Amino acid sequence: MLSIKGLRKTYGDVVALDDCTFRAEPGRMLGFLGPNGAGKTTAMRAVFGLVEQDAGTITWRDAPIGFEQRQRFGYMPETRGLYPKMRIHDQLVYLGRLHGMSARAAGDEAEALLATFGLSERTRDPLEKLSHGNQQRVQLAAALINRPELLVLDEPFSGLDPIGVETMGQVLRERARDGAAVVFSSHQLDLVEDLCEDVAIIRQGYIVRQGEVDQIKDASPVRHLELELADGDVRQLGELSDRVVEQVGNRYRLMVPADLDIRPLMSGALATGQVRRFIYTTPSLSEIFLEAVA
Amino acid sequence: MTGWNGMWLVTKREIRERARTKGFLISSILTVVLITAAIVLPTVAGDAAETHRIGSLGAGNEAIVTAAAEVAAAEVADQPAEEADGFEIFNFSSREEAALALQAGEVEVVLIDGESVLVATEGFGGTPLVGTLQQAAGAVRLQELVASNEEAASVIDVLSRDPLAVTTLAGEDSAAAERGTIAYGGLILMYIAVLSYGNAALTGVTEEKNNRVVEVLLATLKPWQLLGGKVLGIGLLGLAQFAATVIVAFVALRATNALELPDLDASIVGVLVLWFVLGFSIFSVLYAAAGALASRPEEAQSASLPMTMIAVLAFFLSFGVLSNPDSTLSRIVTFIPFTAPFVVPVRNALGALTLVEHVLAVIVTVLAIILLIRVAARIYSGGLLSIGRRVKLREAWRGTN
Repeated sequence: MLSIKGLRKTYGDVVALDDCTFRAEPGRMLGFLGPNGAGKTTAMRAVFGLVEQDAGTITWRDAPIGFEQRQRFGYMPETRGLYPKMRIHDQLVYLGRLHGMSARAAGDEAEALLATFGLSERTRDPLEKLSHGNQQRVQLAAALINRPELLVLDEPFSGLDPIGVETMGQVLRERARDGAAVVFSSHQLDLVEDLCEDVAIIRQGYIVRQGEVDQIKDASPVRHLELELADGDVRQLGELSDRVVEQVGNRYRLMVPADLDIRPLMSGALATGQVRRFIYTTPSLSEIFLEAVA
Repeated sequence: MTGWNGMWLVTKREIRERARTKGFLISSILTVVLITAAIVLPTVAGDAAETHRIGSLGAGNEAIVTAAAEVAAAEVADQPAEEADGFEIFNFSSREEAALALQAGEVEVVLIDGESVLVATEGFGGTPLVGTLQQAAGAVRLQELVASNEEAASVIDVLSRDPLAVTTLAGEDSAAAERGTIAYGGLILMYIAVLSYGNAALTGVTEEKNNRVVEVLLATLKPWQLLGGKVLGIGLLGLAQFAATVIVAFVALRATNALELPDLDASIVGVLVLWFVLGFSIFSVLYAAAGALASRPEEAQSASLPMTMIAVLAFFLSFGVLSNPDSTLSRIVTFIPFTAPFVVPVRNALGALTLVEHVLAVIVTVLAIILLIRVAARIYSGGLLSIGRRVKLREAWRGTN
């Protein structure tokens, strides 16, 4: 388990991290969310010793993180970069070797990864000859080469087309299923909602929400209600008609308190025989996020 | 994986990727071709005949000059298009008079009593003219021996050493001058190597920052491993290329006799190589530290100016040492790591260095290299993540990133 406790980091007067605390569990994916400049990149860099924190501790399996641990981590930094003129296969092998792998093991793993990303034909090409999306795939492969126990990825999906997003998402899910702890930051909240069991939301260096996606959604004080009425007459909703937040044609979206008992409402609405659609849900992750960082 | 393993992986990558580039291959081949051409072409074209002005003091010189003309004629005998060098004799009545004329350049050398030759300064390995005169004097001696029916031992004696003793105006012993010449040649080679390959170290360390791979690497490497490995890789490759160039030049010189090379004294050459490596290392690390401050190659150039100044200064200081190896200044700069590589081989060759001084100088320089790697690594890691802008030295040192 990756455990970050009370992390603090300031740059002059700017507070980048302020008592930042969260955990990432093996076998699970954690979406690390926050507006730009909230401290996501700083926190991720701190895991790799690229930033010296002013206070706080970072541990992996209850031990402080040092060289030994980092050999078994994988990292995809925000500032992407590999050697442009080096053959992609060679780069992956080099990075594998730096992580303590034998030349043979690194070679085998590099081939397997490039095959996964559909780059088997390009292994002898220098990175710069690849398209942007393919370069990003190689970058992910670089983070995966040592079969890491902990994967930290800073915005891995930015700049990818939907197919790329799909492949990368699948690969990450597989790694989590095989037991790796996966942490990634993203602004694509729908994607995070699809992929992750856990989220941590950071705002101005402080973690404002952390936990399982479902639990966080359940804990929200509001619920969404979506109704489609055949005749579009909102008056049938009675007292709820003041809670309408959006109307498109005969469709209404309402926000109601979580503790509101909707059963009477449901039976009442159904009794009119006008209801074509009735959806009652927790808010989406986007809404939770917007509310949390407001 | 130990720290050295990590560094060695960086070194291997550096050598492999650099040696693979077209630029490296082209520059290697071009250098060798140009050097060979520069040495071989002039000898093929041949020298124009000139008339040498020989001073003469005392008796027994004319026979040598006459013989010298025959030697010169024999040299061009198989090249009918060329004319042989001529010789003109100027007689002097006193050594002072002869020395003045030599200093003024009115004569090139002065023969004294058919026994010795006085030259203004000892050129690089002596001048071809002195060589011709030695041959001529040898021939004259042999004729004398044959005429007087001397024993074979005397003949061998004449053949086995230069018949004329060479002295310079300053009166220095020519063997010491020859050793000085070797040291001086080594000095120039090191100066050229430092300036040409220091730049490779300089721009090389900005590479990782420039293509932003540094963050991936430093997630598993320590800055000193990356920096040390790069400098070592660039340095080894540079040394190999340089050594190849020097060897080609040496072979070409030997083959064409374009320049009379001094006999190489093993101990002096050994010391020269040792200090060449030390000097090359310390300046590479120094340049790498400058590169660590910059984020782009263009910025590295301006950060490197002080390093180049140090190299130039040390190079010129060594000239002072060459003419005055025992002065206080010469002793001081022996123990300054940046000047030592230029100064120590010269003082050693001139016999002005004690063993204790020598060992101490090596220790000081090696310690300085280790210290510099640490300083450079700290600057490097401090300035690392401020990608895209030049880092102030103080910021980098404190490690604010």
